[in-house]
Amino acid sequence: MATKLIEIKGLTKKFGGLVAVNDFSFHVEKGEALGLMGPNGSGKTTVFNLVMGDLKPDSGEIIFEGKDITNYPTYQRVKAGIARTYQVPRPFQELPVIEDIQMSTIPDSIMGSFRGRAMPLEKVAKIGEDVGLKEHLSMYPRELTMGDLRRVELAKALATNPKIVLLDEIFAGLTVAEIGELDTLLQQRRKKGLNFIVVSHDLKALAPLVDRVVVIHFGEFIAEGPFDKIVNDERVKAAYFG
Amino acid sequence: MIRRLRWWLIAIAVMCVLPLFVPLGFPVSVIRLLVMGSYLAIFAMSWDMMSGHTGYISFGHPFLIGLAGYVTAFLSHQEGFQPPHIVLPLAVTLPLGVAAAVGGGMLFFFPSMRVRGPYFALVSLAFMEILHRLIIAVRPEFTGGDRGLPNLPSVVMGAIPNYYLSLGLMFATAIGLWYVSRSNVGNVLKAIRMDEDVVEASGISTYRFKRFAFLLSAVTAGLGGVFYTHYLASINPRRAFSAILLLDIIISAVIGGMGTIVGPMFGGYFLTFILEYLRPYLFGQWRLLAYALVAIFMVIYKPKGFYGIAQDVASWFQTRKRRSAQYGY
Ligand SMILES: Nc1ncnc2c1ncn2[C@@H]1O[C@H](COP(=O)(O)OP(=O)(O)OP(=O)(O)O)[C@@H](O)[C@H]1O
Ligand SMILES: [Mg+2]
Repeated sequence: MATKLIEIKGLTKKFGGLVAVNDFSFHVEKGEALGLMGPNGSGKTTVFNLVMGDLKPDSGEIIFEGKDITNYPTYQRVKAGIARTYQVPRPFQELPVIEDIQMSTIPDSIMGSFRGRAMPLEKVAKIGEDVGLKEHLSMYPRELTMGDLRRVELAKALATNPKIVLLDEIFAGLTVAEIGELDTLLQQRRKKGLNFIVVSHDLKALAPLVDRVVVIHFGEFIAEGPFDKIVNDERVKAAYFG
Repeated sequence: MIRRLRWWLIAIAVMCVLPLFVPLGFPVSVIRLLVMGSYLAIFAMSWDMMSGHTGYISFGHPFLIGLAGYVTAFLSHQEGFQPPHIVLPLAVTLPLGVAAAVGGGMLFFFPSMRVRGPYFALVSLAFMEILHRLIIAVRPEFTGGDRGLPNLPSVVMGAIPNYYLSLGLMFATAIGLWYVSRSNVGNVLKAIRMDEDVVEASGISTYRFKRFAFLLSAVTAGLGGVFYTHYLASINPRRAFSAILLLDIIISAVIGGMGTIVGPMFGGYFLTFILEYLRPYLFGQWRLLAYALVAIFMVIYKPKGFYGIAQDVASWFQTRKRRSAQYGY
């Protein structure tokens, strides 16, 4: 029981008549990286939105470090240690990359913000460099490629000093070499104790990163297990190709 | 630091010595216009703190200004329609007016700030109209009804003392709000305008920061409101809650450059003078039409207003300098 970092129980979300997520349950062990797989439109991003509090579930519970956070507003979940990247990047259009990342470090207090308790820019720059944005720190979002915008997403999530990060398709738009670099970075972070839930269509990028995979299809749980076993599972193959 | 502020210091010095030239023939009418300009600048900066920064558009600033004005007017004076009551000194009624703006604003506007979308704008517009009607209809013997409250006491007498008073208030407001705008608090507020969800996702309660911005906005609107009311020496519902005042404030902020504080300050003076000199040609509906055209133009061409244009010019000069240093042309 004490080994579970986050536990999702019976999560359900309907959009009108469409059941996007249906009685979906899974958990992440402490120190674990979990893959969340499923074909297009199966409900992966919706699960992330529910875990972050961007959407309210119709039913179900989210337990983080033993606490029921189902009714927490988003910012309290982030302060508790959950962060996410957006599948469609959402940078602050009027800010250069470095200030965009710094925004994630501003304290949630008026007095604290006045006293300038955000992370100093040299440290912010380090986070940016780690994800491969060294040359882009003073650029504006409109000058960046989709791949770089995804790195900004990752840097912003890491800058909140999270315990777990929900990664939504951060490998899309990157070259094979870049994916390799990012994989290396994420594995380093994992060794330092950071947990991940990774959504990716790129199974080659996913494979070395995750300990275990959960598969979702039409909003429902269909399989769970080690990566190699799951990709050869009949139900999973049927979901992806049938 | 001094070098960077040199133009500001010169401007402030000029503003401070201007009345000395009145005995030499500098027109007092210009001094009076500058007083009006200072108050419009205060209101525009106040609006900018909330709406220009966060994007939550307030149509309720006349509500805050008018509430503050009515409270100090009613309490400081005994004449016309009112039944006898204790008349309080200005030193008491001015702070009470400001407190009324803050209290009323918190009571009525905070709930709608929790929700995204146009609710804040709609609620603020509704409360301006409700207060307008209430003051006319409910207990006109207290509020003066349609006619308002005339012959209010002055804080200071004469054009020049009022000039210094309004200028002092204007500078205090400008420096205070500018400081906030340049701090991380201002950065969060501007980020809320860009993408509020993402600000929440960086662990910040946007409601907390919106509340603070609104509080500053209400304090400065109330402060401007009480002194403005006593400067005009009368208050009536038609002027206090007019769409024209609301539009003057918003247009000042928009043409000056939203989210910059300094821009709306300039916008307030600019609009005051432009309107005065265009008065023979621009009245009633024409003024509203001109506002609509200016607003459309600014939104399409330069959402950053004068401030943005000044920035562009400055950066153009800088690149010229840098280029000429590099290539020698
Ligand atoms: N805000 C919304 N309103 C209505 N329907 C929605 C909304 N968000 C998602 N959906 C629908 O819910 C279903 C699940 O969408 P979701 O984005 O979670 O899938 P996904 O697994 O992330 O897909 P992809 O792999 O394409 O990113 C889809 O049918 C989608 O159209
Ligand atoms: Mg998705």
